[in-house]
Order: sequence, then C-alpha cells, then structure tokens
Amino acid sequence: MMRRRTIKTWWVIAAFISGLAFALAAEDLILSTQDNRLEFAAPRLHFLVGKPLERLRNAAEVSFAFHITLFSGNQTHKLKETASRFVVSYDLFEETFSVTKLVTPRRTARHLTNISAEAWCLREMSMDVSGVGVKEPLWARLEIRAEDTKDGGLPFGRGNITDSGISLTSLIDIFNRPPAVTQAHFNVETGPVTLDELRHSR
Amino acid sequence: MYKLLLAGIFAVVLPAGCFPLPDEPPEEGGPTNVNARFIVEKVSISGPGSSPKLSEPLRTELGQVAGQNFDQTLLDRLAERIKNELHVPDVSMHVTKSDTPDHVIVTFEIGTEREKRFDLDLARFLYHSKQGWSGQGHATININNNAFSFGMVSDGDQLAERYAGIQAGYERRHVGTDRLQLRFDFASYHEQWNEASLLLAAPDDIYRTRTSFSPMATVLILDPLELSFGVDFARYRLSLPVAKTESSNAVVSTLRYHQRWGSARSDRGEHDLRASYTLRAGTHLLEGDAVFSRHQSQARYRFRRGRQELAVGFLAGTISGQAPLFERFVLGNAETLRGWNKYDLDPLGASHVAHGSIDYVYRSFLVFYDSGAAWDRPDQREQKQSLGVGCKKGGFQLAVAFPVRAGAVNPVFYAGMNF
Repeated sequence: MMRRRTIKTWWVIAAFISGLAFALAAEDLILSTQDNRLEFAAPRLHFLVGKPLERLRNAAEVSFAFHITLFSGNQTHKLKETASRFVVSYDLFEETFSVTKLVTPRRTARHLTNISAEAWCLREMSMDVSGVGVKEPLWARLEIRAEDTKDGGLPFGRGNITDSGISLTSLIDIFNRPPAVTQAHFNVETGPVTLDELRHSR
Repeated sequence: MYKLLLAGIFAVVLPAGCFPLPDEPPEEGGPTNVNARFIVEKVSISGPGSSPKLSEPLRTELGQVAGQNFDQTLLDRLAERIKNELHVPDVSMHVTKSDTPDHVIVTFEIGTEREKRFDLDLARFLYHSKQGWSGQGHATININNNAFSFGMVSDGDQLAERYAGIQAGYERRHVGTDRLQLRFDFASYHEQWNEASLLLAAPDDIYRTRTSFSPMATVLILDPLELSFGVDFARYRLSLPVAKTESSNAVVSTLRYHQRWGSARSDRGEHDLRASYTLRAGTHLLEGDAVFSRHQSQARYRFRRGRQELAVGFLAGTISGQAPLFERFVLGNAETLRGWNKYDLDPLGASHVAHGSIDYVYRSFLVFYDSGAAWDRPDQREQKQSLGVGCKKGGFQLAVAFPVRAGAVNPVFYAGMNF
C-alpha cells in the first residue's frame, strides 16, 4: 500500500517536471501574468551571440531594440504593442554584462551573466493587460534587433533620443522597416493563449 | 510530504534558473558602457604603412587618449579620422585588458582593400568639342598578386595624333618584397592625323601604326618616394610610299612622389601632393633609330576642406635630339591650356613646354585658369592663357573654356570623366 502511494507521488513530480520542461522546449516565448501585467520570458532565445557578442567583448556597447506585439482575434487584430531600447556592455575585467534600459529615468542592471542579462531585458518588457478579456485568445510576437552604435556613437541614431527620453514612434518605426542584411535580428511568437489559462497555469 | 516539498522547490528553482534576478537593484544615471570607468593605458596602430602618414594633430589627439577614461564615442571618431586620413577601406578598433588593473589597451587596426578578382573599368572618357571623343577601358584579372589587363583605347586628346588600338599588361605587385613591382605593357595603335599636322610635318615624321613593349620595375625607395626604371621599345610604320618601319627604343626612369595628409572634414583640410620627374632617353645602344633625351617634370598640389577644393598644377619639359612625334609635348587639350585648340597652337607638338594651372571648386562649381607656352625655338615662345567654368563632381567634369586673346572668342566645350 505504502509502495503504491510512493510511486504515485513520483509520477506526479515526474509529470510536472517533464511538463514544465516540455513547455520550455516547445515554446520560444513564454507568457505569464503578474497582477494585471503580462510578463515575457524566452529562455531558448539568445541574442547576446555572434557579431553583437564579438563587439561587446571588444569593449563596445551594443544597443538592442525590443518590440512586443500582442494580437487578438484570429491573430489579425493588433491589441497592444510595446517597444524599448537596451544598451548592453561587457566588463572586460569582471567578464560580466551590464544592461541599461533607455527610459527616463534610466534603469541599469550590472554584474549579469549573458543569460541573466537577456532575461532582465525581457522582464523589463512586461505589458499592462488590464481591460483585455480573460477568455480572449492572444498571440504574442517578440522582435529583437541589434543596432550598430558606430554611426555617431548614439544608439539608434541621432534625433531619436531627446531630453524626455526616446521617441517611441521612431522605435516602432524601426520594426516597420525590414532589418538590414547585416543586422542581427531575432523573432519569436507564441499563442493562442488566454489570460485565464495563464492565471490558472501559475 | 517531503517529496511534494521537493517538487515545489523544483517548480520555483527551475524557472528562477532560467530567469535569474540581477545581482543588484536597478540604478539610474551614469554611462551606459560599463568599460567607461577603465583608463586607456596605451593607443597603438597596426597594419601596413600606418603611422607615418598620420597628421600631427591626429597623432597628438591619439596620444592624449592615453591616461583618459575609455570613451567609445571618441575612439570611434578617431578611427573614422584615421580611415579618412589614410584613405583605407576600414579601421577596426581592438580593446584588450592591460596587465595593470582597470587599464585597457586600444589598438587601431588598418584594414587593407580586398583584391578584386575581376575588374572592369572605364579608365578615361572624354568629349572635346575640337578633338572629338576619347575613351579608354580596361579589364583586369587579379590572381595572387599578379594582375593581367587588357584594354582598348581611342584618344584624340593627349598627343598630336589620334591613336586607337589595344593595350595589354601584366603586373606583379610584390617581387620578393613589397618594395619591388614589375610591369610589362604592350600596345598596338593605328594613328590618324589632323590636316594641320599633315601640312606641317615632314613625310618621314608621320606614321600609320605604332606598337610598343615596355618592361618596367618600380622600387619603393622611401614611402612615398618611388623610382620606376625600364625600357620602352617602340616601332612605328611610316606613311611613306615605300613601307618603312622605324624604332624608338628608350631607357625610361621616373622618380615619383605622392603624399597625402589631413582630412577634408577637419579644420586643417586635406593636402595632396604629387610630383614626378621622367627621363626618356632614346639611344642607338638599344638599336633605335631615334636619338633623343626627354625630360619632364610635373607637380600637382590639391587642398580640400569642407566643400572647397583648390588645385595647382605645374608641367615643364624639354626634348633634345630628334624624338618621334608621340614623344613631343602638346598643349591645348582637356588638361592643359583648356580653351585652346592644340591644332591652332602646335599641330605637331613642341620640344619645350611650360604650363601652370589653378582650379578652384566650390561644391560642384568649377573655375580654372591655365597659362603656358610650348615652343621649339626660343623666338617661338609665347605665353597663352585660358579661363573656364564648369561643374566637377567626383571624377566627372563638364566645362566650357575660353582662350584669353584679342579678337573672336571661340570657346571649347568638354565633358568626361577620369581625365
């Protein structure tokens, strides 16, 4: 009798872990809710790689433009979108990353590994979903583009950064243009999912 | 129960491992590049032929970077200035840790131009209202520092005659060392003569065809001074009733200097100085029929700052002995005494020449002044002048030029590129 109960418990644990692992493996973009905010994670997506990483290891700072779009209906209706810019640099001596979110006031996180730097950026992209129907099927798309700061030394070019911060319009405009051939860019999507499902899956 | 607790821990730890929190709470302000706190210990430049050509102000600025905090924007700007001053395709910056804590070493690496395997270029293209069309095109194949070229030319501008035909060449850019180059040129032309030239020339001066073969070696003596030396074997068939071929075999030496410094975008501007002296000596020792010595000195200084450009050119030459017509100096074309017609000045060219020109360009607007004289005997020496206006953009030029003289003004119009 005792033996049967033990097996059942392990079965639940194994199912939970494998389910979680499957969820992580199956979806590139993972959604979760915290109060009225939709949060994002993409543990399989690594943007601190290749040319951007090469530049970072050469003491340069690299800017990344993030854009998240939330769709509803049949993935045709753009419900919400948010965009942000992050400047990443790599400490040559500590061999850790530093990330600054270009908002007013600035937010910076230091002494991060590459994984935690990537995760910090995504956590900063959370979206207010108050007013979105809990049963409404949602799709989310994340786009990340690395920008070359060589042009004038200003991330995302001159004129986009003002005293009041960064022009959101210009930032969203970036994603309305196709990425340059040499530009590192990443896209991941997920859905359909409802807020109700997300709240119950916590 | 403890297993359920373990499951709970898994459920918390696993996502936490995927999404770790930053080590410290978010903060505000300060530079975005974490390396800005490090001090630049040393700045160096690596790559072929780098530091000697940098201007003094830029060298001073590079020196001042050492001891300062790492500033990526400043260093990117300096890299761009090095690129502009050295006229190289790329300058990349490498930053490494120093042995001294919190100090970094910055190295600017000069990139070299990638060799094109196949290149097709229109070396020269010109329309001159008095001389017609001239054009020259080349196809070049590069294989491991060996360049093979083949081209066609029809030129009614540079010499007393119009010559048209084919050109072929082989160039070896590194012969054991970067300082030695070898070049072999072959050309075969058919000639056409203007009526004015035919009227003045002796029957045995005019030739119908001309071929030449010229092996040359170039030694880089001390950058940017180089010496070319070799031989030019030319054979030409005279336009006599009885076909007769003559040869003009000459020893050729050219001392060349080309220095460029500064940047057009800087306050001090860009300076470009080219100067050369060429001696061609036709001798019986090489079994040539023509015995002569031809000396030619040429210099051109160009200054560019912002949208303005000023160029001053100078040419002087003298021929002693009996040189064939293609060796003689010509004024009154698209480069010298612009506005004059060479067939009005010296239909057969001259054995002595002196010429100077000043060009000024603002944006694309060009004004120029030429002055010079070409003569065989001292009593024929007469200074001529011309003025012109036009537009110049990159290698393209379009202008109208007027000879400065009493009487009817007969302007010359020309347009073209790379001349």
